[in-house]
Amino acid sequence: MEIIIGWLYPKLMSTYGDRGNVITLQRRSQWRGYNVTVLPLDQNSTPQDIKSVDVIVGGGAQDRQQEIVMRDLQGAKAEAIKDKIEQGTPGVFTCGSPQLLGHYYEPALGKRIQGLGILDLVSVHPGETSKRCIGNLVIEVTASRLARELQAMTGIKPYLVGFENHGGRTKLGTVEPLGRVVYGLGNNGEDGTEGAFYQNAIATYSHGPLLPKNPFVADWLIVTALKLKYQQEFELSPLDDTLALQGRESMFNRLKLTSSLVINE
Amino acid sequence: MKKKSKFIPIINRIKLYLAVSIAKTITFLVRSLGFGAASVLPGAIARRIEPKLLQFLSQQVKKGVILIAGTNGKTTTALLLCTILENKGFKIAHNSTGANLENGLATALIENTNLMGYLNVDYAILEVDENIVPKVLQPLQPNLIICLNLFRDQLDRYGEVDTISKKWTRAISTLPRETVVIANADDPTLSYLGQQLHQRVLFFGLSEPENYLDSIPHAVDSIYCPRCGDPLDYQGVYLSHLGDFTCPSCGFNKSQPLLLSGEWSQILVGLYNKYNTLAAVTAAQELGIDEPTIKNSIDNFQAAFGRAEDLLVSGKKVRILLSKNPVGTNETIRVVTQSQDKTTLLVLNDRIPDGTDVSWIWDVDTEKLVERGGTLIVSGDRLYDMALRLRYSQSSLDSKIRLIVEEDLQQAIKIALENTPHHETLHILPTYSAMLEVRGILTGRKIL
Repeated sequence: MEIIIGWLYPKLMSTYGDRGNVITLQRRSQWRGYNVTVLPLDQNSTPQDIKSVDVIVGGGAQDRQQEIVMRDLQGAKAEAIKDKIEQGTPGVFTCGSPQLLGHYYEPALGKRIQGLGILDLVSVHPGETSKRCIGNLVIEVTASRLARELQAMTGIKPYLVGFENHGGRTKLGTVEPLGRVVYGLGNNGEDGTEGAFYQNAIATYSHGPLLPKNPFVADWLIVTALKLKYQQEFELSPLDDTLALQGRESMFNRLKLTSSLVINE
Repeated sequence: MKKKSKFIPIINRIKLYLAVSIAKTITFLVRSLGFGAASVLPGAIARRIEPKLLQFLSQQVKKGVILIAGTNGKTTTALLLCTILENKGFKIAHNSTGANLENGLATALIENTNLMGYLNVDYAILEVDENIVPKVLQPLQPNLIICLNLFRDQLDRYGEVDTISKKWTRAISTLPRETVVIANADDPTLSYLGQQLHQRVLFFGLSEPENYLDSIPHAVDSIYCPRCGDPLDYQGVYLSHLGDFTCPSCGFNKSQPLLLSGEWSQILVGLYNKYNTLAAVTAAQELGIDEPTIKNSIDNFQAAFGRAEDLLVSGKKVRILLSKNPVGTNETIRVVTQSQDKTTLLVLNDRIPDGTDVSWIWDVDTEKLVERGGTLIVSGDRLYDMALRLRYSQSSLDSKIRLIVEEDLQQAIKIALENTPHHETLHILPTYSAMLEVRGILTGRKIL
């Protein structure tokens, strides 16, 4: 069995430890005996490279870097990413990359950056002097199919623990939110939504990175990728996630979220 | 160095007197009650009374105000330059506790005034947080500015490396022509900054290709040409994005360092301290200090607290290596892996001085620490984040390391010491606030 992890512009879009999502997917696959390839999808890649990947990871970027990415992600390459997501290739996109998958992003300074328009959302930075959204973030996954599948894997209602750190605010159109904010600000600090879920693409402001403390999401990405690639059911062997559970528990306690409510509901 | 006007209007003289005497009283009270070193509060209150305090105090400095800015190495560089100048008999004001925002600078200057607000020092050496550089240049009117490096640090507080360097360039440009700038030639952003200024700029950097890294580490910010935005060509990197580079598109080039790095020994351990040494030496030479004094100071240098500091704790050797951002931590890990010692304690906090966002640990190449085996102990506010980072550094489930996760820092230190054989050194890699806590526990003394 082989999994190819496509990593969007590692040198340009990995500002906030987003590499952690790649590492988590890579290790959890390796530990179970699957062969893993991490394939950078950047200026040197072809549309064919993009078509070959089984799961996609995208991180955040500084504004200048985001512009360089969008200049490169045009034509056949843009189409390839669009097709992948439409065909159900799973992915996790943090911070800058959901902005890029949306219609556009307006930075604090400079021109509007056009996105790929795959997700029906727009992101706007409200200006240099406005406060960044920074802090611990807990959300309940509400995207219905994802919530159902995660709950089937773990037996409990899925809550995600992360950290947000973003200047831009995102407003969703018709796309389903990933979840509702339990603690923190989420997409815009106003409507209580966080992230977006479309086909099998998870978009979120929750970095930290997302996957190490939410290992069941990593496993969902792996299993979804394998199912799609090999067209058969997969049961992943369990891994020891004690550290992640302790880390979650410790964060719930710190944020004074009744952990029984959050974990065993 | 040029002397500045010392004139202070009478009304400000009175306010300055009030500000300074109240600040000094607070310092006295805080210290005598054992609440800490009082390195911020006195300055904060004094600046409320006399908002132009920084200006009025710094203009009294006799020979020169020296600013040190950069992401990593400020404290060590400042301490070396201080040592060199003190060895020459000069009197120095220095914010030696690393309190590097405006109130910390004010406190350090107040320390050296008499009750009337008269400052009696030859030099002020001020470490300045990268974000407040533009704000303090006008009041402080520095004679010399050292720009050490610009790395990604504390993303929750600061914008982007690009933005910071642009702000620095703009702010330094408004200073008089006589200002001297010392910049890191190996850092493309700062090389470019130096090339744009109308002032006298001296560069420092390495010319030691034998110390190139095998590959560019992941935690790299600036691989794009600061002038045209195209990718830079690196002949080699020394650490992070510091190295020998050219831009194939626009011809932008590394500036020529003043000193040949190979001719100078360095303080402490690690290549990053070679940079700190070269920066201080370039500054000292510019201030007219003779070579024997400089070399002698380097050879007899003691570390600033928590920066490659060696302690002896109940018969065991302990080395504290401040590890507060990806680049710094990659380098402290390099120091650990180059030693024979196999016990390391990592302490990760997420308080304001550390930056509340700890995701940067995923940009650190902890794999290098884990590959060599040994005992790793983790503690701090975000110990599970660090523990997960180390767990995910292992390619196979048969662990080469023994990972001990201990919430109680005191207990973690105890376990770490017990696990360190007598002939080995325990390395401790803490973030900033964790470093203060660790030192507090190890030395029984608190620093605020």
